[in-house]
Amino acid sequence: MKLFFQNKKNLILLIIVSILFIVNLINIIFFTPMIADQHWAQKIFYVHVPSAWVGFLGYFIVMISGFMLLIKNDIKWDDTALAAAEIGTFFMALVLITGPIWAKPIWGTTWIWEPRLTTTLILFLYYMGYFMFRSFGGNIERIRRQAAVLGIIAFINVPIIFLSVQFWDPEIQSHPQVEMANQPPEILYSFLFSLSVFTIMFILMLKYKVHLINLKNLSNKNV
Amino acid sequence: MLFSLIKKELMMEFRSKQIILSMLFFGLAIILIFALSSNVSRVILSNYAPGMFWLMNLFIIVLGVHRSFAYEKDFDAFSILISNPIDRGLIFVAKWVSGFLFISVTQFVIFVPFFKLLLLEFPENTLLFLSTTLFINIAIMAVANLISGIVLRSKFSEILLPLLLFPLLSPIAIAATKISKSVISLQPFAMWNEWFLIIASIIVIFGLAGYALFDYVVEE
Repeated sequence: MKLFFQNKKNLILLIIVSILFIVNLINIIFFTPMIADQHWAQKIFYVHVPSAWVGFLGYFIVMISGFMLLIKNDIKWDDTALAAAEIGTFFMALVLITGPIWAKPIWGTTWIWEPRLTTTLILFLYYMGYFMFRSFGGNIERIRRQAAVLGIIAFINVPIIFLSVQFWDPEIQSHPQVEMANQPPEILYSFLFSLSVFTIMFILMLKYKVHLINLKNLSNKNV
Repeated sequence: MLFSLIKKELMMEFRSKQIILSMLFFGLAIILIFALSSNVSRVILSNYAPGMFWLMNLFIIVLGVHRSFAYEKDFDAFSILISNPIDRGLIFVAKWVSGFLFISVTQFVIFVPFFKLLLLEFPENTLLFLSTTLFINIAIMAVANLISGIVLRSKFSEILLPLLLFPLLSPIAIAATKISKSVISLQPFAMWNEWFLIIASIIVIFGLAGYALFDYVVEE
């Protein structure tokens, strides 16, 4: 099997993502305006919200791949689900790290039970169980099908978790994503640019991870 | 067929009494720990009582559901069960119904020592408290049986079950605590109807998901 970056398309995508990522970072640090009451803390949202977006996108792909695996019974959907789950969880961890960093100067505390942050934490913990379930082994065919079901029920539970946390403490409503939409164009466009860069980066990471899982499957077959 | 499957579950429990008794005594042990570790005034404790009641229930449910599926591991009974020409979704429904009955019986027994040993007043509207508890049990057992069916044949299923179950049960835990608290403080239904709807939606979603997906979960 060819190395991933020996494929020209992948190499070009890597170069584009690298350039866009550096441009995005420079733009966030030097060119986005400061918000009066937030200063540097606000800039973390150009990373925090896109991370949350790709994290949830990852889990959405896990659910779709789960359905496809159950319908088509094709192993490639399980590879996609596993890759999306791992990358999604990486970005969810990033959300859980960057959230409190912003929250400390703005809310005066590192953690409040804000609905989106809480939903992220719950999904993150659930996916830790998902990975343990997969790694503890057993009949691989059965594990694949059961992991698909776990991925499906995790995502269909998201709206319920979100609503229940929102109803739980209705006073906690302030969320940067809502505030971001009300910002002036120079902030909004930078934010949308960052969102796009993270999405393209996610696609590249997903392709690469699926490639690695394929290699691992091949090596397991050859043993 | 469904009734035969439910009857099988009930007969097994009737003969061994493993599930209900283990849940019951574990529940009492938890109450003991709660009582000894929360040396605070009755006013403070009564505020936490609904949360403690559901925390205890979640712990005993994990024990009961795990036991209910662990039965099937003995002599590979589960493989024999699924090799029969039956709708596998019905196995899920049978486990759901029987699990609901076991937890409800346990809760009805443990309800009195919970309030008595923690030196709390019984809810004024005890009937409503118990009926809402039954309703919440339906939702919990739908989720718990689906997850337990998934982890049944894994290594370390006893570790995986709470790891996967508790995050999924978090909306039910919030809703259950809010409903019980509202019922104890005699709030009208309009004040807690959204929680009721959340529980109802979980019953519908996980009931259907469990019935439809259980076939894939148990397939060899």
